[in-house]
Amino acid sequence: MEFLITSTLNGVIYGMLLFMVSAGLTLIFGMMGVLNFAHASFYMLGAYFAYTLSSIFNFWIGLLVAPLIVGIIGILVERYLLRRVHSYGHAHELLLTFGLAFIFEELVKLFYGDYPVNYRMPDDLNFAAFNIFGTDYPFYRVFIGGVALAMFISLLLMLNKTRVGIVVRGAERLPQIAQALGHNVPLVFMGVFGAGAALAGLGGAVAGAFYPTNPNMALELGVIVFVVVVVGGLGSLTGSLLASLMIGLFSSFAVGLDWSLAGAFDWVGLGDWARSVGGLLTMSISSISGAMPFLLMLIVLLVRPAGLMGSKN
Amino acid sequence: MRYKLPLIALLLIALVAVPPLFGGGVQYALVNALIASLFAAAFNLLMGQGGMLSFGHAAYFGIGAFAVLHLMQAVEYGYMGVPTVLLPLAGGLAGLIGGLFAGYFATMRAGVYFSLVTLALAELLFSLAPHWEGIFGGEAGLSSMRMPWLGFNFGTTLEVYYLTLVWVVLCLAVLYAYTLTPFGRLTQALRDNSQRIRYMGYNAHTTKVVVFAISTTFAGIAGGLMAMSNETANYSIFSTHISAEVVLYTFVGGSTVFFGPIIGASIFTLFGFVVSGATNAWLLYQGLIFVLVMLFAPKGIGGLIQAHIDQRHRLPWARLPLPYAVLAGGGVFMSLAVVFFIQSFEHVLSNRYQAVVARTGEWPDYHLFGASWDPLSPVTWLVPLILFVPGVIIVRKAAARIHEMWEGQGADVEKSEAAPATSGGH
Repeated sequence: MEFLITSTLNGVIYGMLLFMVSAGLTLIFGMMGVLNFAHASFYMLGAYFAYTLSSIFNFWIGLLVAPLIVGIIGILVERYLLRRVHSYGHAHELLLTFGLAFIFEELVKLFYGDYPVNYRMPDDLNFAAFNIFGTDYPFYRVFIGGVALAMFISLLLMLNKTRVGIVVRGAERLPQIAQALGHNVPLVFMGVFGAGAALAGLGGAVAGAFYPTNPNMALELGVIVFVVVVVGGLGSLTGSLLASLMIGLFSSFAVGLDWSLAGAFDWVGLGDWARSVGGLLTMSISSISGAMPFLLMLIVLLVRPAGLMGSKN
Repeated sequence: MRYKLPLIALLLIALVAVPPLFGGGVQYALVNALIASLFAAAFNLLMGQGGMLSFGHAAYFGIGAFAVLHLMQAVEYGYMGVPTVLLPLAGGLAGLIGGLFAGYFATMRAGVYFSLVTLALAELLFSLAPHWEGIFGGEAGLSSMRMPWLGFNFGTTLEVYYLTLVWVVLCLAVLYAYTLTPFGRLTQALRDNSQRIRYMGYNAHTTKVVVFAISTTFAGIAGGLMAMSNETANYSIFSTHISAEVVLYTFVGGSTVFFGPIIGASIFTLFGFVVSGATNAWLLYQGLIFVLVMLFAPKGIGGLIQAHIDQRHRLPWARLPLPYAVLAGGGVFMSLAVVFFIQSFEHVLSNRYQAVVARTGEWPDYHLFGASWDPLSPVTWLVPLILFVPGVIIVRKAAARIHEMWEGQGADVEKSEAAPATSGGH
């Protein structure tokens, strides 16, 4: 029971964090058709900027200002780099963001070193939210989940209830028509790109204080975020949320389970044979939990490439 | 092209004759450059010819390496008597089987989705391999020894170099010949219009699978050569970094030209060998070069050369050298400024320097480009700026001038072909 509840809580909160980063990515893909390899780098930059700002001023200023800086970087990337190569096609845009991800990682290594930096939450957030089965549950995890939830709700409200949201959705669905109706579609693209980057930066600023802040964080999270976006359906916000929660829950449960395929074979009396074969059959779920998201992504890509909620194919 | 054959012959002679003059370090770098060239050329068969961008080619490079290591172990322990020179075939076979399997699924999708399937497959292997003791040797990986054969004992780097050279040249020749066959033409048609392939009565999916498998076969051979050269490999060979590197090499070299990826791979590996000893920021430079090429010369170095060859009868060669020299000069200014900037930061932010600062409370001078610099003096930071700003102006002016000359060469020079010539500041 304890395992069930803590794993669920941890899974949901990790899922919310994944959603914070993947929301921008899925919006950008839905609109511009660009799979942004540098997106997770924005998450990393958010964490590092927040670290610097919080050591100069305080944690809250870091949390507020870092996403803004990251958003501005996103806008500059879109305006001066992506737009330049737009005419060469999507593959080229993808390659450019791929190179940028490379540069961001190396710049972080240059300025902050190869090892994790000491980015911590402030002491007044470092307390137990509640006590569960005799162990304290950190408030900060709840805080991460809360920030993500607030972001999801405001994003949804903005997209569905405001004029800006209508223009954005229009530009996503039918860019030419939106242009013809007098909306500045390139400006919308730039704004969405910047906003997506800022959201990822916010995710980094919030999560970096809890999880380690190191130069590998972009690469580690980056592939998982791709999985989320693909499974949820490229371009679908609700799909991303579902997929994030799924993967969050899955990875938090898998760590505690030592089931293996050989165990499954026991049901049909082939368990001993499977154990004698070894290899894939005897690996426990906990040891291959890292591989599961990719398996899921493969299955989705092959069976239903539009993802859970995606409509475009 | 009548210059092509003599050029290649000359290059081959140099590749055979020159390495013995150098030490083991250079020979080792050359081995890596050769392997990277083959890997990039194999990758480009899929990308440049077939139009399929794979983000997981490390998977096939890796399984080729592990297949060869298993065979090497079998030979070493005396289970089998395979001549050492034929070992890379095992890598090719593993790449072929892996490619047929993976290609069957990956080519069901196109565009970004294809790239994502290949990425997922490679990541799957990367996360499984450290737990898979029997095949990938767990986290430690596998090691073996090269066994002597027919009087060669393959103990020195030079012997390994010649073995690699023979394999790489043979494979590249096969790959080049492939582009001339009818099936090679079909591959290009796949890139340009796969709908039409279907109308012509070919099965597009089968064709794609075959192309994928050929590409992975040669990637597997490259991996096998790497395993033979290092005599060891572990799961990190499947990492995204290896997949990423081959993408970088291919596009900097130019994916539209057969020799492009080979140029890119050789330049990057050899340059990396020279520079990585001097700076930790080598990967940063690599990334910067890649992005600059993507922005200003989208067809890569090979594309630039090709554009010059295509336009050779129209270009005003007598008037070109001056603006080209000016462009190069401006580029040198800019590169110097950037290098100065990055290297200064690397020095000043290094652990050793920061430890001195923490101990003494002073910021001592550091040495760069044969002079010593005070990190707190504005002069230090004005130097790169003084180099950079005129550099940008010069490059822009020269580029505009060159652009004009290219545009002036008759209406059929497309903008996309002339545009590459406006770059060069990297």
